[in-house]
Amino acid sequence: MRPVSRFGSLGLGIYFWAFVVFLFVPLVVLVIFSVNNSTIPALPLSGFTTRWFHLAFGNGELTTALVRSVVIALVAGLLATALGIMASLGLLAMRGRALALALAVLLLPLVVPYICLAVGLLILVQEVSAQPTLVAVVLGHSVIALPFAILVILPRLRSLDPAMNEAALDLGASSFATLRYITLPLLAPALVSSMIICFVTSFDEFAIASFLAPSGQPTYPIFLYTSARTPALLPEVIAIGAIIIAGSLLLVVLAEGGRRWAERRLVGADVSHAGEPTGPDAEVPEPVLATTGPN
Amino acid sequence: MTDRQQQGKGQVSLVSLTKHFGPIAAVDAIDLDIPSGGFFSLLGPSGCGKTTTLRLIAGFEQPTSGQVLLDGRDMAGTPPSKRPVNTVFQSYALFPHLRVFDNVAFGLRRAHVPRDEVRRRVGEALELVQLSDLAARKPGQLSGGQQQRVALARALVLRPEVLLLDEPLGALDAKLRRQLQVELKQLQTRVGITFVYVTHDQEEALTMSDRIAVINRGRIEQAASPRDLYEEPANAFVADFLGVSNLMDASANGPSGDAAQVRLANGFSVEVRRGEISRRGEVKVVIRPERVMLEPAGGTGPNRIPGMVTNVVYLGSGIQLAVHLASGHTVTALVPNNDDDTASAWSSGLAVTCYLPANALRVLGDGVATNQQHSGAAT
Repeated sequence: MRPVSRFGSLGLGIYFWAFVVFLFVPLVVLVIFSVNNSTIPALPLSGFTTRWFHLAFGNGELTTALVRSVVIALVAGLLATALGIMASLGLLAMRGRALALALAVLLLPLVVPYICLAVGLLILVQEVSAQPTLVAVVLGHSVIALPFAILVILPRLRSLDPAMNEAALDLGASSFATLRYITLPLLAPALVSSMIICFVTSFDEFAIASFLAPSGQPTYPIFLYTSARTPALLPEVIAIGAIIIAGSLLLVVLAEGGRRWAERRLVGADVSHAGEPTGPDAEVPEPVLATTGPN
Repeated sequence: MTDRQQQGKGQVSLVSLTKHFGPIAAVDAIDLDIPSGGFFSLLGPSGCGKTTTLRLIAGFEQPTSGQVLLDGRDMAGTPPSKRPVNTVFQSYALFPHLRVFDNVAFGLRRAHVPRDEVRRRVGEALELVQLSDLAARKPGQLSGGQQQRVALARALVLRPEVLLLDEPLGALDAKLRRQLQVELKQLQTRVGITFVYVTHDQEEALTMSDRIAVINRGRIEQAASPRDLYEEPANAFVADFLGVSNLMDASANGPSGDAAQVRLANGFSVEVRRGEISRRGEVKVVIRPERVMLEPAGGTGPNRIPGMVTNVVYLGSGIQLAVHLASGHTVTALVPNNDDDTASAWSSGLAVTCYLPANALRVLGDGVATNQQHSGAAT
């Protein structure tokens, strides 16, 4: 890296902190007002309370919407990850123009406005079944999460030594056994990452859910959106927002910790606890494959 | 695993085997018999088609035409998982998430071998490669040499008829390579399985093999025992590839008795007793560096050409000298470092007389693949 001048480094510092403030102040504000003892989220602050949390969790409609969203996100995440594995395995075998084309089609949901997808899906759903259903929401969310799953899984798959597949076949394994015992276990860290990203993508998705969810069964973002326009409910919405932020932080920490643990378990790279390699040719062990994926 | 000495099993025949990648023939109508129970090397420069040949035998590639026969059975249509052939990969391709034990047990478990037998056979295989005490490690915790042995055990535990090895020592340092070369050869002798070994390292091939096929541009240049390849190379490519050889252009007039006079440039000529001395016209004459004799300047006699040392390289066990001859050629000479004075006696610019013994000079063919006659003659 090029050395940065004193002035440049000062500029970079200011830019960095401005960025952090811009990114995190809204979240901090949300957390502060979630414990503010006032029905109106405005300064000055008027004392500490946990009232809004009690009210929020006492609100059956809200908690139902929350659970509904979690279930939808779990199923959509599983579905998108499963499809992502299959798509990545297919893409791995492709080359050149075919690869570019297939990848472009699979990643299309990234650039198509969700609202357009939503309208299209709504028309499709009404052709198939008369009523909008939560199944349609799950399917819609799987579609938009699929590109993220592929972007996480494919690089990991490409980092695996292709000779490992051949070795498994050479040792008498069927293609399925190779997938089951070699490829999938080695993909595990990427699959965990993919699940989390797909879960989050589905969990806070609004446009598709608002078109496809039946009117009596709002997902959590839809419920939040409608409640936020009702001033009396606003503090509860803020409290739930604060809890979601805490949950997200916890998820990220757990996921990263889990990923590292899985990596260590996978490759047994923790040499310091394994003792020195013995034998006549003891030398510094080199790992067989790069374990650092983009995930 | 010594009970595996199966006489007459593991014999591989390649019949006009051809593999095209697009317009390029990676393997070009190879005919080759790999005898059962021996250590056979495919030797050649990178990109010569040796690895493709190995992959065709393993079944990872399908031949464009021609056949792979194993003990007389055509392997076409038999997938890699069903061939009695196992491979040690260049990258080892160990399964990083499985312990050494489970890596070695992988093939047995896929074949639904009973649990007790799995434990016994994995134990034997690990013992064979002296890794019994590391069975619980993950591959990432092993050194390169140890990983290589796990790959060997994993392939051998299935008791294949043929073991294919794709430059298995390529990733190791020089000292370890030499040690493992010896171990591999001993292992092969003990288990008696046919080893087909791919390498670009001529020294490695010469050290370990019972027979070697030298491959160039998808064709076999010569297939013979190490001694025959080294002493009687069929053509310039083989001579060159098997070690630093001095190749000189010359013109021949045919034999007189058991020798031939060949003319070099600038009016020099030498007597040659080896190789295709009956050839006439433009030929190549070859002599290995260790056979080039250097005498004090001014010496006379047959096969002696004056020259001057132009470069001195100290190799430890010997001194490698470049000598520019009055005939216009530059030859490499290897002088053993067996005297207190050897190391200091040679310097650039020193005038010498170069003696090329008639018994050390060979007339070579022109390198067009005339391998079948040669391999036949060399056996």
